[in-house]
Amino acid sequence: MRVLVVEDEPRLLRNLAKALREEGYAVDTAEAGDDGLYKAENNCYDAIVLDLMLPRLDGWEVLDRLRKQKQTPVLMLTARDAHSDRVRGLDTGADDYLVKPFDLPELLARLRALIRRSVGQARSRIEIGDLLIEIRARSVTRAGEPVALTAREYAILEYLALHRGEVVTRTELYEHLFDESDDTLSNLLDVHVFGIRKKLGQQLIATRRGQGYCIEL
Amino acid sequence: MFTKSIRWHFLLWLAFLLVCILGGFGATAYQLHRTNRFNQIDEDLQRRLAAVTGDVRGRPPFGERGDRRPFGERGAPGGRGERPPFGGPDEPPPFGPGAGRLPWRPPSSGLEMPSGFPDFRPRPREIRLSAQTLGQFDDTETNACYFAIWSREGTLLKSSTNAPLALAVPTRIGSDTQSHTRMREPVREAFHFTEMGECVLVGRSITADLNAMGRFALWLCGAGGAVLAFGLGGGWWLAARALQPVQDITLAASHISAGNLSKRINLADTHNELGHLAKVLNSTFARLEGAFAQQKQFTADASHELRTPLAVIISEAQTALSRQRSAAEYRETVETCLDTAQQMRRLTQSLLDLARLDAGQEHIQHVDFDLAEKTRACIGLIRPLADTGGVEIKCDLSPAPAVGDVDCLGQVITNLLTNAIHYNKDGGEIRVGTRTEEKTAVLTIADTGIGMGTDDLPHIFERFYRADKSRARSDGRSGLGLAICKAIVDAHGGTIEVSSEVGVGTSFTVRLPSARL
Repeated sequence: MRVLVVEDEPRLLRNLAKALREEGYAVDTAEAGDDGLYKAENNCYDAIVLDLMLPRLDGWEVLDRLRKQKQTPVLMLTARDAHSDRVRGLDTGADDYLVKPFDLPELLARLRALIRRSVGQARSRIEIGDLLIEIRARSVTRAGEPVALTAREYAILEYLALHRGEVVTRTELYEHLFDESDDTLSNLLDVHVFGIRKKLGQQLIATRRGQGYCIEL
Repeated sequence: MFTKSIRWHFLLWLAFLLVCILGGFGATAYQLHRTNRFNQIDEDLQRRLAAVTGDVRGRPPFGERGDRRPFGERGAPGGRGERPPFGGPDEPPPFGPGAGRLPWRPPSSGLEMPSGFPDFRPRPREIRLSAQTLGQFDDTETNACYFAIWSREGTLLKSSTNAPLALAVPTRIGSDTQSHTRMREPVREAFHFTEMGECVLVGRSITADLNAMGRFALWLCGAGGAVLAFGLGGGWWLAARALQPVQDITLAASHISAGNLSKRINLADTHNELGHLAKVLNSTFARLEGAFAQQKQFTADASHELRTPLAVIISEAQTALSRQRSAAEYRETVETCLDTAQQMRRLTQSLLDLARLDAGQEHIQHVDFDLAEKTRACIGLIRPLADTGGVEIKCDLSPAPAVGDVDCLGQVITNLLTNAIHYNKDGGEIRVGTRTEEKTAVLTIADTGIGMGTDDLPHIFERFYRADKSRARSDGRSGLGLAICKAIVDAHGGTIEVSSEVGVGTSFTVRLPSARL
């Protein structure tokens, strides 16, 4: 999962990026509104954490312009807690609203829920045959036995499982799993898929030649 | 209370005014009418009086002499007044010089003349009136006039048949022969003394005239009452109409509350006095709204500025605690938290300073000091920061005696110097000068920094205003420094001004009173 964090307080931005990366997200950051808007328009994010008071272009404006092009889930993050601000935020197109100072676990939970809901998955666990993926705990069990996956392997499996039944292209996987600073070689994706197949069986992820990968229904 | 309403007071005053005007008018009209009527009566009486007097003076026209008694004439006041002792012939006294002019004298009692002898004693003069004159005393007329003639001694010589019983002889004052009028309710009389001392009186009843005047007075009262009632009704309606805009304004103003200051009174008609009032009220509301908006913005900004570092601390700590970390990572977290907490401490201090200055609680001491000396001390403290920033400070400090709180003003100088360093360019310079100008101590701090546009200049003393939005908060500055400077200088009764040019630099000028007021 790839998220964009737009926040003008550098220490908070650094910390949020660190916490999200530790949660397995690919994280892009922006300190100003215009930068944030540019990145949001040109990349495919699974969610955006957007501060309201931003230099050059404020959060309302970023959200307003973004909504003309994309439906990326947006979690608004702001120090303004007036009732009218919250209503305005949600009405402008924000999907959720958190007031600073926030609880980090709450922010992470809301972000997970946002991403899950955006792909039509209401529950936080995905079952595929005897395979069980717990999104909250980021754990995978097969017939009750825990399976140890690397962070990358888990991210690929989670993405494919959330988009079950769809063919996910390699580009899409790259876009959603690696942030802008990642300079991963393309064949590494195959290495990770190979690792998953080794641990969970060859049949789980099908390869469509020239198209991508798919977990069939 | 209804009785305290403007409308009610207006009506009372209107009633008072109307009663005064109508009363005055009515009284004048009645008086004029009465005077006019009496003048007419008097003229009429005078005319008749002149006719009777003419006859009395003894020039009765021929052919009328004793041939017949004209209607209404009595030879002597029969049965009424005193009958003359001699029921003499109709001839005027044939003897004596100036016969007809001599006063009639009553016969002396006890000197009875033997009958059969012609009486040669002077007899009372026989008064003969012409038929034409007598025709003027027709007692069948309404308002018929009567006449009476008295001798010099006060004996009634002749009177008309319709003369009232209670005739009174007018008293003569001196030897005046003017005609006079007198009022003896209910009659009005005109009288006249002839040269021979005879008194001629003409009178008439004025009962009918008095009744007519009474009716006129009643009519005036009725008409006045109607006008008063109509005027008061009109006044009530007018007052309601005139006060309607006031009611509208009151209603509109009552809908404007602290939470709803954007409403305005509808200025449908701004050309009258109330429109002006509404305009004044509207501009007051606009100022209030501005002040409220500013206060709201300040609260929102302050909340934002405090919540953000708090978010940093909480989120840093929660991230650090979410898993096992190395000692170096913990140290980094603690350092970030400490930095952020320090920033919060500075901010809360600034907010408290401002709040105290706003409330006028900051006790400003008034001490004589030299602004140049204080500036020199502040420069000494800040020089290391300037050296780090590669900025040179040039001084031109002439002694400038000032009065004020040395610590507070030191904060102003330090803030301005810090700004000058912060927004300067590498290798730039700051020129600091102090001087005395017309009983004010002047401090100038000019930098060669990035400068500000004219859009920003009017706002830089506003709280949390940042000329350069892109540098927002990244420098850890509160955004309150200049606002505090202005508040302090204002509290001293001084002024702070700024001039700036983008790319050239910014110059602040502080003026403080140099002597106690």
